[in-house]
Amino acid sequence: MTSIEKLFYLRLVDSKAVEEFHYNPGQFLEISVPGVGEAPISVCNVQKTPGELQLCIRKVGRVTNAIHRLKEKDLLWLRGPYGNGFPMGVMENHNLLLIAGGLGIAPLRSVLQHALLHRDKYGLITVMYGVRCYSTMLFREEFLKLFREGDKLGVEFLLAYEDKSDAECYQLACERSDRCMSGLVTKLIEATPIKPDNTYAVICGPPVMYKFVVKELTQRHFTPAQIYMTMERRMKCGVGKCGHCITGSSNSIKYVCKDGPVFTYLDALKTRGLL
Amino acid sequence: MYKKLFKKHLENFISILSKFGVVYAPVKKASKLYDFTELTDFKELQLKYTRTMIPPKKFFLKPKEPLYLLNKDKGFKEIVDDSKTVLLGVHSCDINAINLLDRVYLNQFPDLFYKTRRDNTIIIGVSCEPDENCFCTSTGSSHALRGFDLFMHEVDDRYIIRVGSLKGFQIISECKNILADTSLPDIKEFKRVEAERIKRISLNLNVNGIQDILDLSHDHSAWQENADICFGCGTCNLVCPTCRCYDVVDYLKLDLKNGLRARRWDSCMLRQHALVAGGLNFRPTRVERLYNRFNCKMSFSEDSLNCVGCGRCTVYCPADINFVEVLNQVRED
Repeated sequence: MTSIEKLFYLRLVDSKAVEEFHYNPGQFLEISVPGVGEAPISVCNVQKTPGELQLCIRKVGRVTNAIHRLKEKDLLWLRGPYGNGFPMGVMENHNLLLIAGGLGIAPLRSVLQHALLHRDKYGLITVMYGVRCYSTMLFREEFLKLFREGDKLGVEFLLAYEDKSDAECYQLACERSDRCMSGLVTKLIEATPIKPDNTYAVICGPPVMYKFVVKELTQRHFTPAQIYMTMERRMKCGVGKCGHCITGSSNSIKYVCKDGPVFTYLDALKTRGLL
Repeated sequence: MYKKLFKKHLENFISILSKFGVVYAPVKKASKLYDFTELTDFKELQLKYTRTMIPPKKFFLKPKEPLYLLNKDKGFKEIVDDSKTVLLGVHSCDINAINLLDRVYLNQFPDLFYKTRRDNTIIIGVSCEPDENCFCTSTGSSHALRGFDLFMHEVDDRYIIRVGSLKGFQIISECKNILADTSLPDIKEFKRVEAERIKRISLNLNVNGIQDILDLSHDHSAWQENADICFGCGTCNLVCPTCRCYDVVDYLKLDLKNGLRARRWDSCMLRQHALVAGGLNFRPTRVERLYNRFNCKMSFSEDSLNCVGCGRCTVYCPADINFVEVLNQVRED
């Protein structure tokens, strides 16, 4: 998809596992390359065909580099799915405001796909996506289509780009100045008349992004329980054993892998260090 | 159910125990150093000991433990150690620590490797020899109510043995010739000896409301002061009976096809513990790591501490950081 991200289409080869394997948006898998190691990766699509899934993986460490070196029909090992995932049931009959930065769009894409698959159960869907530049934009074809024709599906797709000199993004901004602007993703929140009424906000992005986005949203009177966010830690085991994702101080300790990775902003307020 | 074993029968008792598995017990390794070691010579047995350096968690969560044989094409095959073990001479604090480990490793996702070791290990407790660093009465772990098969309370020239499980009952049944029922004087002596033992645990840690105090004291100068002298070596994690973070590592053979996936003890005091892909570290400084460790020890969940007051982290800290003193310092101003 970009120079460092690839979209992987996986098919389970174990027929028994095909029957048992169900995942929800926001859950993650532990992906293994034997001899290299294991890494937690969140699913980026909604489950449609049994035994099939998609993972958007950035090469950033040993395991992900090894995955990037794989060829078509090579084998990968996986465990999971783990974690709570997004409360799609709770968010039914509400508007959705999805806010993503960079690779954070991957898990939110599964939320978006789920909502589109059950379109009548959700209200207006607004997607705010912050990228560095056009070439780092993930799922470009898909999202450009939404950018231009999303209204037909009741989806408002907005794009923010950091690199002011980016010609392609500038072109998009000329096309729809209300939906594409240069700056950080928070700029989209500032520039868009969003209301908290009957709306859930869902955030995923680089760790530094959260507090700025949350600040914008709380200024718009979103309550801490209306804001969902999915977190990243080094989840080695995925099942609350290895201790790497423990966070918080002693009056509220959370395991990102089993208590999360999806938390509300209320959880973050109670749990020191989660945000 | 209680039985009485005279010390003169102890060797006989241990030879019966060895039918149930390989017996590991505290053995003196250096002047103040004890370790749970395979008991090959009865004379080496040290049932009167303060504490072992390495807690009995090493039997259930081994320092370095092969989990899977791996093959690049065929994937993973579990390596399960189901050898029978008898762990003799475990103190109440350490039994309570194992109970805490159980809550992690046997919860909704039971850990196969831990569970197998746990199911194949008989735990026999023994009354402890407290020193000035023990504070188990503060953490509610000076007594073990569960988590053992037998518990031996030393009372003068005998042991009053408490049965804690079916396996414990089976052992007792094998020892009919050397065990007797307890009598009224035994009970009287038991009470006296127990009261004396508890009296020797003089160190006190006030844990009331400690969770809120810790959260509110995030910016207390004590954290920085102690972080400044801390070596960040992780010894406190290794010797802690409830510390159970692990890391997973793949080892490949020279053929680059076959290998092992193993786990090994990890430490939240080490820099890379909260590091994620891409280089971001959620606890980049030693003071954050120290604060995190103290918080983790003072809360397992809403209903329990994650510390059993064994005193190991204080005794073995090369920088002489005193766990109880730090917490008292944070509370007092």
